[in-house]
Amino acid sequence: MPPAGIPASRALPSRESTLFKEVLHYYEDRQLKKGLKAADTILKKFPNHGETLCMKGLILTHMGRRDEGLELVKQGVRYDLTSHICWHVFGLIQKGQKNYEEALKSYTQALRFDKENMNILRDAAHLQTQLRHYDALVETRHTLLRLRPQLRQNWIALAVAYHLSGNILEAKHVLEQFERIVKNVPDYDVEMSEILLYHVRVLEELGEHTEALALLDTSAKSRAIIDRVAIMEFRARLLSKLGSSEAQQAWQGLIDQNADSYDYYKGFLSNNGIDIDALTEETQSQALTTLRDFAQQFPRAAAPLRLALTVATGDEFKELVEPYLRSRLEKGVPSLFTDLKALYRVPEKRDILESVAHTLLDSLTHAADAPCPPTIDPTMYVWTLYFLAQHHSHLGQHEKALELLDTAIAHTPTLPELYMFRGRVLKRCGDPFGAARWVDQARLLDLQDRFLNARCGKYRLRAGLVEESVEVFGLFTKKDAPSPSQDLEDMQSLLYLTEEADAQLRNGNYAMALKKYTAIQKVFDDFEDDQYDFHGYSVRKFTVNIYLNLLKWEDTLRSHPQYVHAAIEASRILVRLHDDPSIATSASQALSDAEKKAKKKAKKAEKKVLEEAKKAPGTATNEDKGLDASPPKDDDPDGSKLLQAPEPLERAAKWLKPLNTLAAGNIEAWIAIYDVAVRRKKYTQALQALTHAHTLDADSPTLHVRLVDFKKRWSSLAEKPSENIAAAVSPSLSKLVPDELSLERFNSQYLQNHSSRGDAILATAQALRILDAPREEVESAVFSALNADVELRLETAVAIDSFLLELKSPRVDEFRAGCQPRFGLATLFAPRAELPELRKNAIQRAIAETNVEKDEVIS
Amino acid sequence: MSDSRPTPTRVSFAAVTPNNLGTVRKLNSVLFPIKYSEKFYSDIVQPDLEDFCQLIYYNDIPVGTMCCRVEVKDGVAKLYLMTLAVLAPYRSRGIGSQSLKHLVDTAAAHAKPKISAIYLHVQVSNEDAKRFYARHGFTEVGLYENYYKKITPHDAWILQRDIQPAAAAEAT
Repeated sequence: MPPAGIPASRALPSRESTLFKEVLHYYEDRQLKKGLKAADTILKKFPNHGETLCMKGLILTHMGRRDEGLELVKQGVRYDLTSHICWHVFGLIQKGQKNYEEALKSYTQALRFDKENMNILRDAAHLQTQLRHYDALVETRHTLLRLRPQLRQNWIALAVAYHLSGNILEAKHVLEQFERIVKNVPDYDVEMSEILLYHVRVLEELGEHTEALALLDTSAKSRAIIDRVAIMEFRARLLSKLGSSEAQQAWQGLIDQNADSYDYYKGFLSNNGIDIDALTEETQSQALTTLRDFAQQFPRAAAPLRLALTVATGDEFKELVEPYLRSRLEKGVPSLFTDLKALYRVPEKRDILESVAHTLLDSLTHAADAPCPPTIDPTMYVWTLYFLAQHHSHLGQHEKALELLDTAIAHTPTLPELYMFRGRVLKRCGDPFGAARWVDQARLLDLQDRFLNARCGKYRLRAGLVEESVEVFGLFTKKDAPSPSQDLEDMQSLLYLTEEADAQLRNGNYAMALKKYTAIQKVFDDFEDDQYDFHGYSVRKFTVNIYLNLLKWEDTLRSHPQYVHAAIEASRILVRLHDDPSIATSASQALSDAEKKAKKKAKKAEKKVLEEAKKAPGTATNEDKGLDASPPKDDDPDGSKLLQAPEPLERAAKWLKPLNTLAAGNIEAWIAIYDVAVRRKKYTQALQALTHAHTLDADSPTLHVRLVDFKKRWSSLAEKPSENIAAAVSPSLSKLVPDELSLERFNSQYLQNHSSRGDAILATAQALRILDAPREEVESAVFSALNADVELRLETAVAIDSFLLELKSPRVDEFRAGCQPRFGLATLFAPRAELPELRKNAIQRAIAETNVEKDEVIS
Repeated sequence: MSDSRPTPTRVSFAAVTPNNLGTVRKLNSVLFPIKYSEKFYSDIVQPDLEDFCQLIYYNDIPVGTMCCRVEVKDGVAKLYLMTLAVLAPYRSRGIGSQSLKHLVDTAAAHAKPKISAIYLHVQVSNEDAKRFYARHGFTEVGLYENYYKKITPHDAWILQRDIQPAAAAEAT
């Protein structure tokens, strides 16, 4: 007789019942082979036993037979819908597939049938944290604490759960209760120290500063909190918040410890009522005095000097910046310009820096072909030239920059920075090919330098040389990786993925571009998945403070500029695909020879891997492959399947979703959101996006194009979506585009207001095209960007070039020719027939010999 | 004579390797009126020569090179100094002297093979170079007629300095 409450279909005779327990044991010990055998024995007699089926499925999954395993588990669940084991197994498998939503549902089912199973409860808590179901998390943590109050971590876990759910007060109560009952804490216990610090943090967040300070002080005194830096930082902050007279000393103590921490100086100053980011005339001089004092106290520290430069103005600035510049140029600090660039926002400081640096240069100048005078340091001269080159290029004076660099290179031809920056200046001038060549020269000077190598790869990508870039990247990737690209992807190199995606896009290879952007998306998905293990680990190890920071960071993960960029570009490709589905098929036909070769190579490599796998001895059956689904093999090497996948707009919307909140200050993000929303016929969302963009920059040219686009789409709708939507859209739309104006008038008015802006001219031409103006009219509109009084930026000129190409305009070459005198150093506007040759020249095969003829050869 | 020079405090050395060969090529291309063959470059990166083929740094910037080969004749090993030069603006600060001293010290400390002497060729028009080497104990031991084929004058002095093994030098 089965025990009461167990369904007949689950009950097993005693022999099989023992066997089943063995299966569980074998699984726990990862003796997969034995477990499998035992499960098979049971199933021979009871082929429909759900729990055994599930266990067999789980074991098979661990052995790498994932599909088969999953099938068995599903079957098992169907046979026994009320078994917690079945649901638990199902949940485990789903979690392994990173399907957290479904896994949590399975765990919830499992808990219905076994309410107090610690393992299931704990896993469920992790899933709830991952999914940010904080209220449910509190429930789960409560249950766990009730079941095992003697476990310290259960208390802390509950406090953290309350904290996350926003109930900080309750978190405090839990901690207080815990501290009352905790016993036998050894001295210098790291875990208890972390818990107490967390308690202090909770009190601080609650605004109970006196209590926080009291707890901190007693715990510090009794050596219960042992993190000395944390004690000092908390203390200084709390004392400041309390307005205590001891605060000053506390901040001073921190600065004594680390005289190069900007935060400490800011804390010190703000304690004296000085906000360094919002100075008044009065606080400015106070701040400066304080910082000068510190600079004297800590002559080796850079922070007080650098902060003083931010604070000082006029003659004081000049007096401070001169020795700052001099000492760093003497030392040869390559990053000096980057360090000072932020000061350029103030024109006065920019001018002072220029004059100081030039005066310095004048005092250092000497000939390149004779010994430098003994009073001058020749390297200081080179670094000063380098600094000034960066200065002038930053201000758009590229020719001056090149001149300075050439002087420096003639003087010291072995400094890679000079070549790199020369490349960068050329890039800024619109010569990506020359740029790549110069950076290549820098690389050849020191092949060991990973930074130079990465730069070179990046510049080759900028010049459209994808294969050639992979060649140099490959010099530093793992040799046993399937390919350099694959290794860089596995290493989550966002720099590489972004640059290659952009390069593919510029080359018109939408499929590969989308594939690489998708790889970026996956990197961020991985970042998100990676936090999972910490839900258990951090609570177990009591590293709660840093854990809470981690969760906060994860919540804003996709505000990362590389994600935002990838999302916007990918959505643009997908929108383009929606507008012209023929792109998907034409792209795959237009595979270049090189790509075909690459495809063949990839296939060959794949075959080899398969063969090797076959050759591998079959003894690996007991090897645990884990539950996490292994990455699927790349069956889409050229990205064409990705490009041809259905529902581009839905995919684009998914890309952009995080940007609504995480990139709310980015106008291009709103424009991208609009482009997708309006095509999905989500008119309210589309208009909202435009309104957001409008508040960010009402004059934005890209916004102008969308306003025209939206108004036109909206007014030509045969059928308004619904009364409600129409009522919501129409009035807000009239605020953006006045009703009384025709769109043609609206467009010409915009042009009148911004007639000297190249990007505005492009925007009005694009709007004309939307308004179905004849091509000739659009062309002549856009050509006015070449007028002498128009401020035409390089990016705009490039955008106009591709706009004309898109129009299939016969005047493309005319426009490119018109750009040439405008952008003297640019090669981007060279006749298109010359581009392949330019591209070829972008690679420096070897260090260039000087052009002096050398007849004498020594072997 | 050289007392007024600034003290060369920031001179350092690093072996020539395939990775920094580009820098050597760059320096050679501006320093010498001579083109060096690919064989020259493949020889100087041989691991057993790394003590004698060095880049010279001043304030962490490569400003010169010094490359030798070992010639063994009748069981006696000599170091032949193929190139030693410093970029023009960096001359007259004792970098060359320091480099040569470094080379002599290294040669003296070298055990396998023992180095008995260092010698080199100097174009007969180059009095400055001759004086420089004379200051460091090199003497003229011969004249190589028509050493240079294309540049004039064609002849070169052979300058040489004997090397006392390090231990012996200390003993005396």
